[in-house]
Amino acid sequence: MKQKNRRWAAGLALCLALGLLAGCSPSPQEKTPSTTFVLGDTTFNPENEEPDVNPHNDYSGWACIRYGIGETLFRYTDHMELEPWLATGYEQVDETTWTITLREGVTFSSGRAMDGQAVKECLEHLVQVHDRAAGDLMVESITAQGQTVTVHTTQPNPTFLHHLCDPYACIIDMEAGVTQEGMVVGTGPYVAASLVSGEELQLVRNGAYWDGEPGYASITVLTISDGDTLTMALQAGEIDGAYGLPYASYPLFDTEDYTRSSCATSRVFFVSMNFESSVVQDPAVRAAIAMGIDKERFVDTLLDGNGYPAAGAFPDYLSFGGEAVSAKGYNPQAARDTLEAAGWVDTDGDGIREKDGQRLTIRWLTYPSRQELPLLAEAAQATLKEIGVEVVIQSTADHNRLRADPTTWDVYASAMVTAPTGDGEYFFSTHCLASSVANNGHYSNAKLEQLADRMAQTFDPEAREELAVEMQRVLLEDDAFVFCSHLQMSMVTQSDVTGLVAHPCDFYEITVDLAPAQG
Amino acid sequence: MRGYVCRRMIQLIVMLFVITFLSFAMIRLAGSDAVEQKMENTGMALSQEVVDRAREELGLDQPFLTQYGVWLWGLLHGDMGTSYISDREVLPTFLEKLPATLLLTAVSLALTVVISVPLGVLAAVRQNRWTDYLLRCGSFVGNSLPNFLVALLLMYVFAIRLRVFPVIARDVSLHSVVLPSLTLAIAMSAKYLRQVRAVVLEELGQDYVVGAAARGVPFSVTLVRSVLRGALVPLVTLLALSVGSLLGGTALVESIFLWDGVGKLAVDAIEMRDYPMIQAYVMWMAVLYVAVNLAADLCYQALDPRIRLGGGDA
Amino acid sequence: MTHSKRIPLRFGVVLGLALLLLAVVVLAPQLCPHDPNAQTFAPLQPPSLAHWCGTDRYGRDLFSRVLVGLQTSVCATLALVAGITAVGTAVGVACGYWGGVLDAVAMRVCDVCLAFPGLVLALALATLFQGGLLQAVLALGLVSWPKYARMARSQTLTLKQADFIQAAKLAGDTGGQLLRRHMLPHILGPILVTATLDLGTMMMELAGLSFLGLGAQPPTAELGSMISGGRSMMQTHPWVIFAPGGAMFVAVAICNLVGDGVRDYLDPRNSGRPLYDK
Repeated sequence: MKQKNRRWAAGLALCLALGLLAGCSPSPQEKTPSTTFVLGDTTFNPENEEPDVNPHNDYSGWACIRYGIGETLFRYTDHMELEPWLATGYEQVDETTWTITLREGVTFSSGRAMDGQAVKECLEHLVQVHDRAAGDLMVESITAQGQTVTVHTTQPNPTFLHHLCDPYACIIDMEAGVTQEGMVVGTGPYVAASLVSGEELQLVRNGAYWDGEPGYASITVLTISDGDTLTMALQAGEIDGAYGLPYASYPLFDTEDYTRSSCATSRVFFVSMNFESSVVQDPAVRAAIAMGIDKERFVDTLLDGNGYPAAGAFPDYLSFGGEAVSAKGYNPQAARDTLEAAGWVDTDGDGIREKDGQRLTIRWLTYPSRQELPLLAEAAQATLKEIGVEVVIQSTADHNRLRADPTTWDVYASAMVTAPTGDGEYFFSTHCLASSVANNGHYSNAKLEQLADRMAQTFDPEAREELAVEMQRVLLEDDAFVFCSHLQMSMVTQSDVTGLVAHPCDFYEITVDLAPAQG
Repeated sequence: MRGYVCRRMIQLIVMLFVITFLSFAMIRLAGSDAVEQKMENTGMALSQEVVDRAREELGLDQPFLTQYGVWLWGLLHGDMGTSYISDREVLPTFLEKLPATLLLTAVSLALTVVISVPLGVLAAVRQNRWTDYLLRCGSFVGNSLPNFLVALLLMYVFAIRLRVFPVIARDVSLHSVVLPSLTLAIAMSAKYLRQVRAVVLEELGQDYVVGAAARGVPFSVTLVRSVLRGALVPLVTLLALSVGSLLGGTALVESIFLWDGVGKLAVDAIEMRDYPMIQAYVMWMAVLYVAVNLAADLCYQALDPRIRLGGGDA
Repeated sequence: MTHSKRIPLRFGVVLGLALLLLAVVVLAPQLCPHDPNAQTFAPLQPPSLAHWCGTDRYGRDLFSRVLVGLQTSVCATLALVAGITAVGTAVGVACGYWGGVLDAVAMRVCDVCLAFPGLVLALALATLFQGGLLQAVLALGLVSWPKYARMARSQTLTLKQADFIQAAKLAGDTGGQLLRRHMLPHILGPILVTATLDLGTMMMELAGLSFLGLGAQPPTAELGSMISGGRSMMQTHPWVIFAPGGAMFVAVAICNLVGDGVRDYLDPRNSGRPLYDK
């Protein structure tokens, strides 16, 4: 019997070997020639409203500007100050009239010169088809003359120029139009050659670029939604640069073989209080929550240092952000005292406080698609328990429906961009006012409403900044929000690449500076 | 026989109605919609007017039954609608993804059978000896490792350390299909191996095996001619289940390896509440299910004439 | 079953292991060296004498969490698998044996359940039920029982024609006796093997649902979500993923061995001796 078994084993081994061979064909590892740059990106897909690179379509402008196809009239410096880009200057004639002077000698990659007429066509089309742009820019009419355009707005619009920096305002050649795949003709260092939505974008060098010679002959942008795949693809050398790596894998790239560029963004992790909830209505409870969350620890251990504790709503590269306001710090003892003074006492000895027979339980609503949010919830759950507050976490993809119903939650933790245009008004008008769409906790404060009205009429940048600071103070005094952390983002490239630099507004990725490293 | 197939077709049509209606109802029960999901992904708050207008454009402001009616009417006229997310027509988008899924299914099933059948038989023949224990232990590992971990480990070893296969599948080819299909095959083989072992043991205990041995028929002949044949029926049942779930897409493996198949499409569609795309997927699953079962039933009959077709399918 | 057969030594060992696992599962809270939910240690320490499995990113002792997680996972999974096996087998055998309208209706329900994409159903259920481990078990049970029903049914159909069943019928056995004495032991073998094999898969699937807000809610430890949660740390902090992974392996292996043992024991023909030997 022994021999038979051996024959069997041999046959089996053969089967296995054949099976494996059939599946494999040997192929040598291809080394990407340095004239092509391959970027892996987690966000370039229709799910993020970036189905293509047409700035007039949803959020596709982000792709248009990030991948170096289009450029805007003005842009942000590293400190989020405005500077001319395709424009050379502007003049505010009166409260509703802006005259913009355009740069000479810039051509679209179609060959057409970028002049007043081209910009007028582009912007007119934009406000016609793009709801968000139309609401932001408030354009009444546009006139063009040579290298100038004059824009009349329907009402005073202090943030007009900021909105011209938004990716939707990329200047594209409307005569060349939009292809069926959603490709457009811009003025940037690279030209879109082919596009498969949600998968791959091919770019080629714009030989006639106005601001220098782009570093690569061609660029491929791959949509890689899975963070771990992105990590391994970069490790295996299949991509040259990556955007959207998971924090946990950053240590893998802190070696000589890679270059990492980081910067803070205006995305903020914050907790909104529900003013309809009987527990959270108590100012002492709100204050205790604000003092019971250990922001430092969240940043250090759970974000692996890829962020910094927040005080107010805005990041510290903005003059009205960062330490411009001060918030309550982590102070468990003060939190306990506050609760004690307000009558919240642990009478039954189970570690959780009660008042008038009501248990101090906070229903913490959040969602898992931004993976740090459940981490924040769990960390807060542990520290709040220390001060006698029980936290019940509900982390669900269904949070949008739930938060619209104020009876289902007490606090809501989310991660939103608070200053996409480098100006403060956006955050207040979307989250904090009685009329705000995202004010699900029905917070209202008469003083804040007044300040908001004044801001909408104020053109002077410094006065606006002061207002933004004052308004944040109101929010913090009420403990209506607890701002936990600002998020830092990083881009990593192989060390033979230079010039992929992270920018605070997250708009600029592939620029003319991106090039193979010398020597 | 023809009557049987006809009945199955009628059953399919009824099922399509029931299932598409159910999925339509359920995905709405699940709350949220395409407009909200997109808003959340971009991290921007939109004004109520913009949201309302977007809903109106997609017909999401209509009552539920109207929406289903509109969809059904379109379907009966051969129009499966346009995706809410990508604005592309549903049918061509869906069909584009099929070849990749078919290839992945075929290769991983082939790998699974090639790995699990010989090993399963070996384990049965060597029951309760170290070979058996070793194989079973291996199957426990395969069975307790989640797919994504297997995928990441394979990627790490073959793509980063050895650099023989690519991490991301840029094209649909035999070379790039190896790692994703191996990932799937490892988990399935672990199941199959033990199932094969069990049925072969079952068959080995049958009287005819003892009889054949008594008559001096070599063991290998009995094994191949009779035992394996007897083991085929349960194997076909298993295969039918696997084919169905593989063709329905394996979202996790697909998204890890960037394998552009229907699974990832479906999960994205469900997450984004892209109703027309979800409906297409649900229909595909139903058709698939009926077809696979039909095939399996026909196989049963071919393998084991004792089973009468249609007996239980009145 | 009476003691007409002796329990073989090998099975005894397996049973011992199973009892040990059960003891660990039951006593998990007492066995923990630290509070599994206390975020009091330095985060992401590698395994050491003080922390046998290291600590996780919150600074919790992983060994304690693995023990408690094992309890959660094993209990939920056993309940789930036992439930779907019992329901599935009962329905399947009844359908296969009696056929007719019962069969037709039950199988159509199965068809709809099987053909319906599980994720859509889970999503809807997650909204209806609002979280919780029990709800996750229910949701998963609802989509997985038909598999067992179909298996049991096809086994019954094959078996119905077998000579020894026909013989028993001729000998005057009634339906109930036939089922109990002759059919069930044959059907249970493969089903038990499938069920034990499903344990690992089900543990992972339960974890998968926690993404939708179904399943164990934090800070409850649960093996599946511990593994998925540590996913990005495979290269940098492997213990975060391999500690719960190892526990899962041990649990799955023991369950499977028990399944095999039960199968061998139930099989009326299997003498436990290797065949064709000597």
